[in-house]
Amino acid sequence: MLKLTIDGTEVQVAPGTNLVEAAAAIGIDIPTYCYHPGLSVVGQCRICFVEVEGMPRLVTACSTEARDGMVVLTASPRVKDARAAVMEFLLENHPLDCPVCDQAGECLLQDYSVEHGLDTTHMVDIRRTFPGLERRLIGPHVVQNQNRCIHCTRCVRFTQEISETHDLTMKSRGNHSYIDTFDGGPFDNPWSACAADVCPVGALTVKEFRFRARVWHLEDTESICPGCSIGCNVKVGHLDREVHRFLPRHNAEVNGWWMCDYGRCLAQGIEERDVARTAVRSGGELRPIAWSEAVPKLVELLRSRPAARVVASANLSNEALYLVKKGLVRHLGLEVVVPMDRGRPRRIKNGHGQWIDSIDAHPNSGGARLLGLDLVDGAGLARFVGGANGQLLVLDERAHPWLASDEAAATLAARTVAVFARCETVLTRSASLLLPAASWVETEGTYTSSTGRVQLTRAAFTPGAQAWPAWRLLHGLQAALGIPSDPDARPERLFAELAATVPAFTGMTYRGLADQPGLPVAAEVSDVG
Amino acid sequence: MEPILLRARGTKDSRSIAAYRAAGGYRALAKALKMEPAAVIAEVKASGLRGRGGAGFPTGLKWGFVPKDSPKPKYLICNADESEPGTFKDREIIHVDPHMLIEGIAISSYAIGANVAYIYIRGEFHAEALMLEAAIAEAAAAGFLGDNILGSRFHLAVHVHRGAGAYICGEETALIESLEGKRGLPRLKPPFPAVVGLFGCPTVVNNVETLACVPHIIERGGAWYAAIGTERSTGPKLFSVSGHVNRPGVYEVEMGVPFREIIDGLCGGVLGGRALKAFIPGGSSCPVLPADKIDIGCDFESVAAAGSMLGSGGLIVMDETVDMVWALENLLTFYAHESCGQCTPCREGSDWALDVVRRIRRGFGRPQDLETLERIARFASQGMTICPLGDAFCEPIRSFLKHFGHEFEAAIAAAQPLPAAKTPVLPLRSGHGWYGS
Repeated sequence: MLKLTIDGTEVQVAPGTNLVEAAAAIGIDIPTYCYHPGLSVVGQCRICFVEVEGMPRLVTACSTEARDGMVVLTASPRVKDARAAVMEFLLENHPLDCPVCDQAGECLLQDYSVEHGLDTTHMVDIRRTFPGLERRLIGPHVVQNQNRCIHCTRCVRFTQEISETHDLTMKSRGNHSYIDTFDGGPFDNPWSACAADVCPVGALTVKEFRFRARVWHLEDTESICPGCSIGCNVKVGHLDREVHRFLPRHNAEVNGWWMCDYGRCLAQGIEERDVARTAVRSGGELRPIAWSEAVPKLVELLRSRPAARVVASANLSNEALYLVKKGLVRHLGLEVVVPMDRGRPRRIKNGHGQWIDSIDAHPNSGGARLLGLDLVDGAGLARFVGGANGQLLVLDERAHPWLASDEAAATLAARTVAVFARCETVLTRSASLLLPAASWVETEGTYTSSTGRVQLTRAAFTPGAQAWPAWRLLHGLQAALGIPSDPDARPERLFAELAATVPAFTGMTYRGLADQPGLPVAAEVSDVG
Repeated sequence: MEPILLRARGTKDSRSIAAYRAAGGYRALAKALKMEPAAVIAEVKASGLRGRGGAGFPTGLKWGFVPKDSPKPKYLICNADESEPGTFKDREIIHVDPHMLIEGIAISSYAIGANVAYIYIRGEFHAEALMLEAAIAEAAAAGFLGDNILGSRFHLAVHVHRGAGAYICGEETALIESLEGKRGLPRLKPPFPAVVGLFGCPTVVNNVETLACVPHIIERGGAWYAAIGTERSTGPKLFSVSGHVNRPGVYEVEMGVPFREIIDGLCGGVLGGRALKAFIPGGSSCPVLPADKIDIGCDFESVAAAGSMLGSGGLIVMDETVDMVWALENLLTFYAHESCGQCTPCREGSDWALDVVRRIRRGFGRPQDLETLERIARFASQGMTICPLGDAFCEPIRSFLKHFGHEFEAAIAAAQPLPAAKTPVLPLRSGHGWYGS
């Protein structure tokens, strides 16, 4: 460890730490534009100047490694003058169109102008503009406004170093250089919107989020992406029970600072609801009933003869799947399968520069496997459903794409089916008992990723309409079935019960999951690939 | 002083290897190959040779920075990207005596242990690139390049690489990036090229004129070379003189002779017998000097003491008719166009300064403009940027304002007021829109 002094405070850092990170360790915020912890250091925006004792010139903190005994000043008059000058240079040609800029509120130019800039400018000349590059959709998800660009090249380095697609580049030279795709074609790599994330200003913005909300109105909830088994950590940005966006949340072990565009776009409509009420079908018509009536009807279905079959889902949390195992498999002895779809291959680069791949479209097939539930593919699911003599309970209408197929519709039309669902599908149209399920963002719980990490998602808001999260439904069933269970069921307590009973989760606590970005499952059972 | 670097100028077929060998060429290479590389470096150190590309860094010292024990290959790069306005001396060497350069490259490569050397030549020098390629082929055919040169087991390949027209690629790290096939952007330093250079390997980058001096130093000894010029600025120096003189061109002089001797003597005085107003001693990025400094010596120390730099020896002469506001605008146009766009202060500052100076020249200056220019010059130079291009446009601003500030003030005093900005007036509509009904 090296010992250095920053603004009079001593700090110990590992060798190789740069001065930005060293200062951050003791809560000193050195402004940066071109520096991003996930990208290479280029030292070109020049905002991070600091003074180092014994060095005649100011140095850029991002490109200077800490050395033992170094004395650093981050707020000396010289440093402040230089920063104010760099701010003035950056704003000299900036359009200052914050009122109509979607980055406003999370824009580093705004933040650092207030903190480090001048109140005025010496600039009276005509600003540089880039006609034609002012509102340009450069790819399916990214909108470019080159007038706002500060030439930090974060986006270019993202495509070179992280996505490795090399699609963005700086064209032309000097003050007239601009960002463009290398070949002039669309900017459509699978992680393209991350280029907009790393953009510190409003030059690149995400099409799907533009002008949907002002960011200072948004509330952020820590969550996990439901798109595949990797389990990228995300922030759900929501306002008034409406989800506006997913943003990647840093987790070096899983997704670094990144997420794929597919996962990001899952935010669109994730809270929308078709199934609003518990209802029972009689004579082809749905009749609304209360939960208090619905639960006994479900118990009746589960206890019916010949034995009912249950289709669970790898989209359910560890807690819900634990209750499936405990109540439906162990207590009632029902046949339960967890269908698993490979989906499209997804990949993401973690914070250590390694690719993580997924060929599993579900966020929790790892948990299902650790709990010893039977995983089946589409053909297996068709056989399971087709071979059912009795009634069926489907715990997730989107557990597998097969459930939305015509074949499924034909098979299920002849059966009495209870469906726990949010969206309308062929399944819900023929269901005899319809139960509204909470959406992903309304459900708190833990999920086991394909890398064997147990990660926590928080609920962004309480379930809408009459919807229940799966764990609540399954816990309600335990009570109705007469299984001894915790009267105060919350995901936290259910997880504690799970951790106490299932070896793979031994030793984990909910608090631990909340504090850390996911915990690895016990080594001897972590074969969840 | 006898001509050294330009000794073959005006002679028949001076570019041919036969003429070069007849004048004693490639004897120095044979001599060097019998010496230890360290002895070659010691000789160059003893000569006091300083880099002729602009910075004047001692060449022997630069070679000494190359790690001896590195397992990586080492490279020598000859910087022939001569693009500083007012500088055209390297072109003259290539035109007159390309073999002198090639011999210098061979000796220098031997000294630092490089087996591959690149000549990075400015793209506009098409004819010169062909001349060099022809000379390299001749030298290789004669056994002065290639494998086992003169039976010494030293082998060297020399490649000519043409640039694509960027001034910034004359900066050594941008040159290396460009040579690697990337965008020509200067690198962060440290590490310096001597340690991490071309393809990540130890690399020495030397100017054409610097390398052309090396055969003479080896052949006639460092002490002989050090006796030419002043104590700390040794050797001959090429000056490329342009502007208002009767005989512009490239002249070889001993370091330390007064500029008056070059301008009034060699160049035949100021054009049309007019009075000298100012001169830029070392290429357009060096501070301008007023006419009364004409008697200073043309060596690194005297020029620095007078407040400028010897630079590359691109002497630009301006007579009394020159409008200095226009002259600065002209220089800034070049630097704004050539800034690579990496660092904020240089990218924004060069263009901004140009806008301000152009506005003053067009008669719309404001008294505050000089303060703005000084502020730009202060915060875009001296370590505020990765490479010295920031200084290259700030030094002219500073020196023009220092010596010829009165011309800028006069232009501002005679200025018209800035045209009033046309404030768009939003029509107030009733019945719809923001203003309600």
